[in-house]
Parts: sequence; C-alpha cells; structure tokens
Amino acid sequence: MADLSKLMPGETVLLQGNEALARGALEAGVAFCAAYPGNPSSEILESLADSAAGAGIYAEWSVNEKVALESAAAAAYTGLRAMASMKQNGVNVAQDFICNLTISGSGPGGLVLITCDDPSGISSTNEQDARFIARLADLPLLEPATPAEAMAMIKFAFELSEEIQNLVVLRSLSRLSHTRAGIVPGPLPQTRPKPYWDPKVNHATMPVVPLHAKMHEKLARAGRLMAAAGFNSYEGPQKPELLIIASGSSVLYAAEALQLLKAEDKAGILKLGATWPLPEELILDHLAKCGRVLFAEEVDPFLENEIKALYAQNAGRLGAKAFFGKATGHLAAIGENTPGRLAAAMARILGLEWRTVDEAYAKRSAELLAKLVPPREFGFCPGCPHRASYWAIKQTLAVDGRQGLVSGDIGCYTLGVLPTGFRRVNSVHCMGSGLGISNGLGQLGRFGFDQPVVSVVGDSTFYHSALPALVNARWNQSDYVLCVLDNSATAMTGFQPHPGTGRTATGQPGKQVAVESVCQALGLPYAIVDPYDLAATQEALYDALQQGGGVRVLIFRRLCALVQGRQGGHPYRMRVDAEACRGENCGCNRFCSRVFRCPGLTFDQAGGAAVIDEVTCVGCGVCAQICPAGAILAEPRKEAAA
Amino acid sequence: MANHVAAEATPPAACLNQLKKQVLDAGLCVACGACVGLCPHIIFYDGRVAAPDDCGLSQGRCLDLCPQAPEPAQESKRRALHAQAGQTPAPPLGPHAGIWQARAASPDLAGRAQYGGVASALLALALEEGLIGEAVVTRGGQRGAPQGALVRDRAGVLAAAGSIYAAGGSLLALNQALAQETGPKLGLVGLPCQVLAAAAMKAHPSYPAAARRLGLVIGLFCTWNLPARGLRALLAAEGLQGPVKKYDIPPPPAQVFLVETEKETREIPLAKVREHTLAGCALCPDLTAELADVSIGAAEGRPGWNTLIARSAQGESLVKSALERGLLILETPPAESLDHLRAAAAAKRARAAQAWKER
Repeated sequence: MADLSKLMPGETVLLQGNEALARGALEAGVAFCAAYPGNPSSEILESLADSAAGAGIYAEWSVNEKVALESAAAAAYTGLRAMASMKQNGVNVAQDFICNLTISGSGPGGLVLITCDDPSGISSTNEQDARFIARLADLPLLEPATPAEAMAMIKFAFELSEEIQNLVVLRSLSRLSHTRAGIVPGPLPQTRPKPYWDPKVNHATMPVVPLHAKMHEKLARAGRLMAAAGFNSYEGPQKPELLIIASGSSVLYAAEALQLLKAEDKAGILKLGATWPLPEELILDHLAKCGRVLFAEEVDPFLENEIKALYAQNAGRLGAKAFFGKATGHLAAIGENTPGRLAAAMARILGLEWRTVDEAYAKRSAELLAKLVPPREFGFCPGCPHRASYWAIKQTLAVDGRQGLVSGDIGCYTLGVLPTGFRRVNSVHCMGSGLGISNGLGQLGRFGFDQPVVSVVGDSTFYHSALPALVNARWNQSDYVLCVLDNSATAMTGFQPHPGTGRTATGQPGKQVAVESVCQALGLPYAIVDPYDLAATQEALYDALQQGGGVRVLIFRRLCALVQGRQGGHPYRMRVDAEACRGENCGCNRFCSRVFRCPGLTFDQAGGAAVIDEVTCVGCGVCAQICPAGAILAEPRKEAAA
Repeated sequence: MANHVAAEATPPAACLNQLKKQVLDAGLCVACGACVGLCPHIIFYDGRVAAPDDCGLSQGRCLDLCPQAPEPAQESKRRALHAQAGQTPAPPLGPHAGIWQARAASPDLAGRAQYGGVASALLALALEEGLIGEAVVTRGGQRGAPQGALVRDRAGVLAAAGSIYAAGGSLLALNQALAQETGPKLGLVGLPCQVLAAAAMKAHPSYPAAARRLGLVIGLFCTWNLPARGLRALLAAEGLQGPVKKYDIPPPPAQVFLVETEKETREIPLAKVREHTLAGCALCPDLTAELADVSIGAAEGRPGWNTLIARSAQGESLVKSALERGLLILETPPAESLDHLRAAAAAKRARAAQAWKER
C-alpha cells in the first residue's frame, strides 16, 4: 500500500475506503495500530504499516485479534491514541476482552475498534453482523456510508473515546472498505503525548457492579455527544409516505433506489451514522411524521429491532405504524443489500411499478455471458501446494481404508471442502477450531470410534489460535495427525507476514517462531515433508496414521505458489508428450484435468490429448507424478530458481 | 416420449462404482491386485486396494477381472472360464492330468522354499526353457508387506521363494507388465483368487495383451489369507519383532500358525489368526487354484514335500520336462492323502457356497 503520510493536505486523492480510515487515523494522531489480517479489513493495517516510518507510528500484525486489541488498549492506558482493526470474525475472537474492557474503561488515550463486516460472506466462512458487540458491551457505534465519512468518523471516534474513556466501535462493510473515492486529506498532527501510566491508577474490572453502572453512564454520555456530531441526517419530503431508516452502504443504495423509482417526492431517507446508542429523539421525531417505515441495513435487523422496541415504548403517543424490513420479508434476511433489492421493497410498499430488467433481455444476456465467460469454480491457484497436500491426504486416507476424517480450518486450504481439494475436508468453522474438533474426535477411541483423524491447519492460523488446542491435545493425549499446511504466507488475505516468516508488518526482521520449534517445545513427534513430492508425503502421512497414540505433527512445507512466482518462479517447464498421452483411449477419463484439476493443465478437445496451458502453468512439476502414461514431462527451466 | 429419452440418456452404471459398492466397500476385496495398474483410479498400498475418485467410465475391466465380484456367481464364472480353456470343472479338485507328491531335487530349492520347492523349480525351468521370458511372483516389499515383482531368472525366483501369508496385490505387477502390448511370454505364480483373475484376463475381449502374453500360471493352494496390516497387527500383538524368516500352517490337528524369526519360532493359535484374516476369503470356493496350468500346495503329513497337480497340457508337459531333467522327484500320493485333499477342497466349496448364501 502507499505511504499515506506523504499525502498533501488539501489536495484531492483517490483513496480506498480502508485507506481513508487509515489516513483518518493518522490525522487523528493514532500512535499504535494492531490487527490480524482478514478480508475486507486487511488494507487498513497494511496502509498504516507502510506509513509507519513516515508518520512515526507503531503498526503491527498481531498473532490474533484479541492480542491486537489488548495491545492497543495498553497503549491507550498510557495516553496514546490506539486502534485495532479486524473482520467480523475477529470481533468474536476479541469479544472476551471487549466485554471486560468496557467495565474497566479504556484510559486517557482514544481507543477505536474497526470491524469490517462482509455481507454475503464474499471472502468469509460466515455471514455475520458484528454490531452486536456494541449492544452487548455498551459501546458507541459509528457506521460510515462513504470513504469521506469514514475518515471524518474515525477522527471523531478517537475524541469520543477520550471523552468517555471507553472503546468506540466503527463498523465498515466490504463495499465501503473496498470502494474508492476522492478524498481531501487534512493535516497530520505534529506532536503526540509521551506515554505514561500513573502506577496509582488501575484499569481493572473490580468492583464490578459500580463499574457496570459507570459503563451505562458512559454510553448515555456518548449518545449525547454523538447526536450532536452531525452524522445523522434526513433528506426527503417533510411528510413522506415512506420513511427509510438506513445505515452504512445501504444509505447509498436507498438513495439510488429512490432515484430509480423516481420516488424522491414520496419517500425520505433518515441516514443514521451514529447508530448506537440509538439517537432516540431524532428517530421519534421522524416516526411522528410518517406512518410507514422501511429499514435498510446489513446484515442483521439491528436498527429494525431496536427502533421497533423504541417505538413500542412510545406507541401510545405515536399511534399505529407499519414497519417493513427483514421481519416482513420485504428485504432478505441474508446477503448484501443492493439498490435493486431496496427498490423492489419500496415499490411493493408504495404500490409502484418496478421491474429491474426485461425478462427476455435478462435471458438473452445470461446466454451471451455464458458463452463469453468460461465456467469457473473456486479453486487453488496453479502450482498451489495445497492441491498436492490434499491429493496426498485423499490418496492416503483411501488406502488407509478406515474412513478417516479431516477437520479443516481457515485459510486458502478451506477450499479443501470443494472439488479443488477433492472434497477431502469434513468440517470447517473458525480460526483454530479444526484442532479442537480433532482433539475431541481423538478421544473417542475409548467408545469404539475407529476412524483416523487428521487436522489441517495453515501456518498463520497455527499461531493465531491453534496453539491452545494443540497444548490441550498434547496434555490429554488426543489421538490425531496434525498436518500444518505451511506455505510460509498468510496467503488468503494477501501475504501478510506471520511469526513463522520472521518478518514484521513494517518489513523489519522480527524473531522467527518456526512451527517445528513449537513442536519441539511441546515434545510432539513431527516430520517435515514437501507436498510437491507426492509419494514421500503419502508415505509419511500413512506412517503417521498407523502410529496412533497422541498427537503427531507433519509439517507440509512448500512456499505459496504465488510467493514462489514473485521470487523467481518454479523450477520446471511442463510439457505434455502428445505421443505418450493416450487421450480419451487412456481409460483414465482425463485423470489429470478432470480429477487433479490444476488450472494449468487442460484437455484439448480438438487434439484429443491433455495440454499444458503455458500462460497459467507455473511449473511446479506435481502433475507429472500423477499421469498413468508418464506423458506429462517436467523439464528443468534454464533460468529458474531452484 | 420424454420417458423414452430419459431412459436412453441414462448412462450404464460406472464399473468402478460397482467395484467399490460390490467389493471394496462391501469388505470382499482380497487384495489380489487384478484391478490395480489398469488405470490411475485404483491404487494399492500396504496391502490394500482403494479407489478414491470416480472414474466416470462404464466400460473398464476392473469389475470384470475381479475374482470377488458377486456377479456373475463364482460357479458360473468358473465354468465359463474352464469351458473357454477347453476343460471341465471336475470338482472338487478341478481339472487334472496328474497328481503327485513332489519335491525339488536340488537342495538349494528344497531348503529355501516353503515345502518341496516345486513351484520355484517349475518356474525357474519355464524361464530357462524360454517357455516364458518373465514371471510375476510375490515377495516381501515395503514395510514387509508383500507385493508383486517381475523376475527373469533363477536367482529372481529363489529370492521370492517361500510363503508370505499376506495379500500382496501382485497382479498389479502383471497388469503393469501387460501394459506393453508385445513382449516375452509372462508367467504368474498366484493364489486361487489371482489364478481366477488371470484366467479372466486371458478371456477378456478388451485385454488382448493378456491373451497374447500370459503364458504359464502356477497356482498355489490357499485356505485363507491375511491383509498385510492384519499380519503386522498379529505379530505386534504377539510381541514378535524383527524380520520373519518363515510362516507356516502345519497340518491338522495342530491348529497353529508358525512364525519363525531370527530369534525364535512362535506358535500362534489359528483362532487368533482368524480374527485378522481377509473377510473376502470366506467367499472363495477354490482351495487348489483350479484354473492354473499347474497347482502346488503342501503335502499333508509329509514335511518337505508338495502336492503337485498338473492341469493343462502345458502344465503337464512342464512337469514332464522337469522330471526328464531330474529337477523334480515325483511320487504317487497315498490314497488317504488324496481323499484328505478332496475333502478339504469340497469343504472349502461348501463353506463358500454357504457364505454367499448368507450375504
């Protein structure tokens, strides 16, 4: 990412939503930033790390989101402004700390948590609304709609946090984090306080009950400050036929939907940016002026339910109202909002004609697109070591023959549930949970459970949250094989460094924590295998499966194919010997392209033989090991790195 | 009309899926290896056959070659293969031109082989005479699990001598050798299941290389077999370590499995061994490898001697040639010994017929 400290104040620049948040934090004088990568939040810390030297701040990739927020809170206790950024799942990881932090309070330095939620789970294993944390922990919640507002809100968030001495939550969404907009940067602060924590001051959660009361007071005070901050506004007729209450990206979708319907004179939008605690007065004012209300928000009916509760409290005064949204089915309870979805809901409520597109046109365009766009599925990259790893796991569990199970985890290798990983993953939940599942299965032998258990975990996930489960398994002697799919990168989220790489967020060397050193320390038997060597990997896994008795670790170590590509490429130039390839007469039924499924290897219908796609193939050499006819040749590339 | 189209469009059941359903997943596989090595979808490792993926084809040979496939029934399959070879099934011992008690004349063979060294002597002779150019035998491989190996001379034959008592999937090596359409005639030393599979290979319309190249089949008597992992588990449970020099099942009433290592000879009760045997073996009706050219087993009650059955004309002439060269010592078996063998063969048939019925 770019060094955001170099932007010229007052000169418009095109920034991504996440960059706007990062620049806003810099302008607010943030000193300490920590995060764990996860789409759509990753670019926030990446920008801050790349700006760290220029802005004189500290930015780190932490081992997980809880550690990130705890570290940021520590800085805030010393009077520095600090923040932690994460995706929705990260809020779950940090939740225990958050629910205690809100009791202890956050100290003199402003402390901000940015959660970037991913409606539709586009790059997530779940679809989750992280706004729950604001209500759960009595924390102020800000929901920007645009990059410019995001920048303004984060500055306000630091001020608000310092005013109430508690954590402030700012919630972004995929579309906001990843959209780009013209932004006018402001000046960067020239000074920052010297960090100091007066030893006479404690930040602890006791006495609990009085501090709980204080927590409620803080939120109430935050509500008053937020109401005056100008992030909530109404646009539309004085007495609309329909009041749309919207937050986040849905504000823009609602405005676009009204334009599409040409209904700007019928409906108005109450845009809420400071959403928790609810701006009650403003909402009640608008409810009084309109009998019908539609809620536009992602993902959960957060405002919808809270505002309906607020209405119930005031129903006697306000009279009957009709509420529309997720509860009534006017908007979907799942998935992203779109202008089309909102327009359809508004048209239904207002009795307007609404058709997005002519049916015949839609059909024709779908047909044309199908011709232009080749069918594609989620898949591992060409040369991805995970494909080779899952191949070895699939083959080995098959010959083992005891109906072995694989518990999966979070990372590129989550795709093991799909054909690209030969559907060889039986469970996936959250970071590190694969080891917990295996830990449980590994204790069931006493009840007659006789299926071997394999856990796959990526290197970054290993450090994030696999360690407690691994220590537990060692301690309680759970019986399973842990395969650490070590591609020496946090590949899924954009190659951020982690403890195993030894580099830190700012590119400086740290102290490397190797997976094998952890195994050594825990006294775990382990071996390192190269997944590109299919036979050796299968043999090692087979041996490990037969061993039994306690956790044993196989480290499948091979650099991510994309990283290898950047570092000089792979060693081979692959070629199919068209004479040797038996094509459709082989009896393998396109084993290489149909089963192994590397995008670099396809079947040439016209030529009747397998063929290497020279543009896509990176030259890992693995497919040469699976061809029954030996027709795929791996020839050393002259200019290649080893 | 729509129904008609749908019926036409229904593809025939994929043969590999049927093999998985009827044999592999049903626990009937005896790891003979007949289906392995034909395509990459069926793999063999440490004594087990597995098929992790769907091949999606319906015209493969794997199911047709499988001796354990329930369809067609064993008896009719065997009758057809005998008929194709121009012989009658002749239960309970199968077609035979001659039955002897035999042993190899050469002390190096008789000493190293399981019983009388007759299989090794005949195989070595067939190679030396050029009757065959190569032969597939079973010998100890990775992890001590047996596997198929191609031998070309007497030394290779000697290295593979001795019974292993674990399924080795050695037909994999035969399929690999037969992947070459042309080449020297091939010999096979195999168990009854493998001999049945070899006969099916020769008769299969889509396996011309087998018909052309499979020259001599030497069958070994077999009552049941162990999976490689089962044998290992058995030895581990008995606390036996180190390489095993010899396995043997002495004739009744011993009821033991003898395991001889460098350090000791251990008798394991057969009841314990049977906990580990291949379930599929219970469905095999064939004690004496009835579809072989010659069949060889232990001569009951006569240590150091084999029972030798010459079946085909080729088998008979090989025995004759061995006798003429002074390689074998042949004796007419005592009547009660033959009666015993017949009774044992009939009993195996009956047990298998009952086992199929119970499935």
